[in-house]
Amino acid sequence: MSRHVALAAPVAVALALAAYPVVASGYEVRATLQIFMWIVLAGSWNLISGLTGYVSFGHVAFFGAGAYAGAILISKAGWPWLAAALVGGGAAVLLALVIGYPCLRLKGPYFAIAMLGLNEVLRALVSYFEGLTGGGNGLSLPTLDATVPIYYVMGLTAVAVTVLTYLIITSRFGLRLMTIREDEVAAEAMGIDTARHKLYAFLLSAAGPGIAGALTARDQGYIEPISVFPLATTITMIVMVLFGGKGTVWGPVLGAVVLFVAQEVVWARYPYVHPLLFGALIVAVVLLMPRGVLGILQVRYRLPRTI
Amino acid sequence: MNVVVTPAMLGQVVISGILSGALYAMVALGLALIFGVMRIINVAHGPLLMLGAYATYFLSTAVSMAMLFVVGVLLERTLVFRVVDAPELSSLLLTFGVSIALVNLAQLLFTSDLRSVEYLTGAWVVGPFALSKSRVVAFVFAGALTGLAFLFLGRTKLGKAIRATSQSREVAMVCGIDVQRIHLVTFGLAAALAAAGGALIAVIVAIQPEMGQIWTFKSFLVIVLGGAGNYPGALLGGILLGLIEQVASLFLTTQLSEVVAYVLLVAILLVRPTGLLGGRQT
Repeated sequence: MSRHVALAAPVAVALALAAYPVVASGYEVRATLQIFMWIVLAGSWNLISGLTGYVSFGHVAFFGAGAYAGAILISKAGWPWLAAALVGGGAAVLLALVIGYPCLRLKGPYFAIAMLGLNEVLRALVSYFEGLTGGGNGLSLPTLDATVPIYYVMGLTAVAVTVLTYLIITSRFGLRLMTIREDEVAAEAMGIDTARHKLYAFLLSAAGPGIAGALTARDQGYIEPISVFPLATTITMIVMVLFGGKGTVWGPVLGAVVLFVAQEVVWARYPYVHPLLFGALIVAVVLLMPRGVLGILQVRYRLPRTI
Repeated sequence: MNVVVTPAMLGQVVISGILSGALYAMVALGLALIFGVMRIINVAHGPLLMLGAYATYFLSTAVSMAMLFVVGVLLERTLVFRVVDAPELSSLLLTFGVSIALVNLAQLLFTSDLRSVEYLTGAWVVGPFALSKSRVVAFVFAGALTGLAFLFLGRTKLGKAIRATSQSREVAMVCGIDVQRIHLVTFGLAAALAAAGGALIAVIVAIQPEMGQIWTFKSFLVIVLGGAGNYPGALLGGILLGLIEQVASLFLTTQLSEVVAYVLLVAILLVRPTGLLGGRQT
């Protein structure tokens, strides 16, 4: 019975969301699109940081890389946006390979700080290669109203990231990642090729943000370095995952929905207080409920690990 | 870009590199101390430096260092001590949260306006070289403070206790060192070094709430260059980073100097992950 509910509920929600643009206003579609985007970002961060235990402080770099790769292909090469979005994901994965290979071979905080710097570096590079990226002036895309198709593609990407997380958590690969998170030395002693597993998890976690970045660039029609590489985006995805429950399937989804709605309804009125609250929330969650909301529920109600 | 490099230009670059290198070394020493003693990378190191810069702007350098020492101690006492033995994830996330809170608090209190301390402007001309007055003062100050810090670590009982704790916490405890207290002092000292850095930077460039993050990164780069947990390594790493950035600015635009620093980090992690002097000899 409960298994049927567990399967039927997400399917029903997905169907309702698929039909939603028919009845919803432009604003509502856009807001839901944003939630999808946050699910993609938070879910992807969860793969490397929540599951594998390697904190990425610069995950928005992949969003920005995807946005620029996609926007350049659309505006300079005339590609259709769907293909450009896929290549945007590919570009982010490539970037992750270049950064991850040296940084993930080591234990400890090297990776975290390297990711902290990556964002600044990409922003500087984008500003420098003005011919291709428009530099600080930004890059305008040809006008096209594709919000509804982008809504579906972003929604599908969100579903894909969540399903991928489920598949990983229930697989041997996922168990190995969690072993690395709990005790890397022990993982190595058991014969897990930790460097390779960390790298795979990292590559998987870069694809979603890359695609989301390219889709967002197409939807907004204009990008500039400040708009696609903000540290605030990384902060938000981290807070969403920590709040919802890191290392779980539904934690990032829960965090994305709850915090996005809270942000729209309450905190939008206090633009400076809200990042301050996010900082405080991170501290509070780390100290008081390190497993997040879902983690607490899992323990209290003995829910399965695969939630 | 086609540049003809004259010996005078090269000399100028080397001088500027060493001048800013001393500052890097001092700020990075704070990060290295915390990492050595507590095995924590304090992501809030840069934002603490930013607070120090503001304290200098409104009050004075000495007050700023004293205040930040207290802030550091309070931070350790209330939050950081809870994650000393926790997995890295916790301490990184916790200090990251603190750093975001600090930056936005500063934005609320001081707004995002650029502010600068007009202290010494202009330059001394020595032969073919021009020495920016504020940078020379910063260099002398940073050099003196770093020297004092090394004297403190090398000669005083408390300094020796700090080094002992960073070599082995258990053995230090067995020898009767109050490790909790060492953690407190180390955190306060590191925050004070960051504050001194902020004070000196405030003299050189305009300050704003988001100036800090890049300093966390640069300090980390310095300790990677020198070897994490190796205190003299921080000195060497700082000077090296200063030189490399300046030489790079000769051939590339200044926009790309951060990129050069980054490529350097990745290259070192690839080739010599223990740093140039090797890790953990204090």
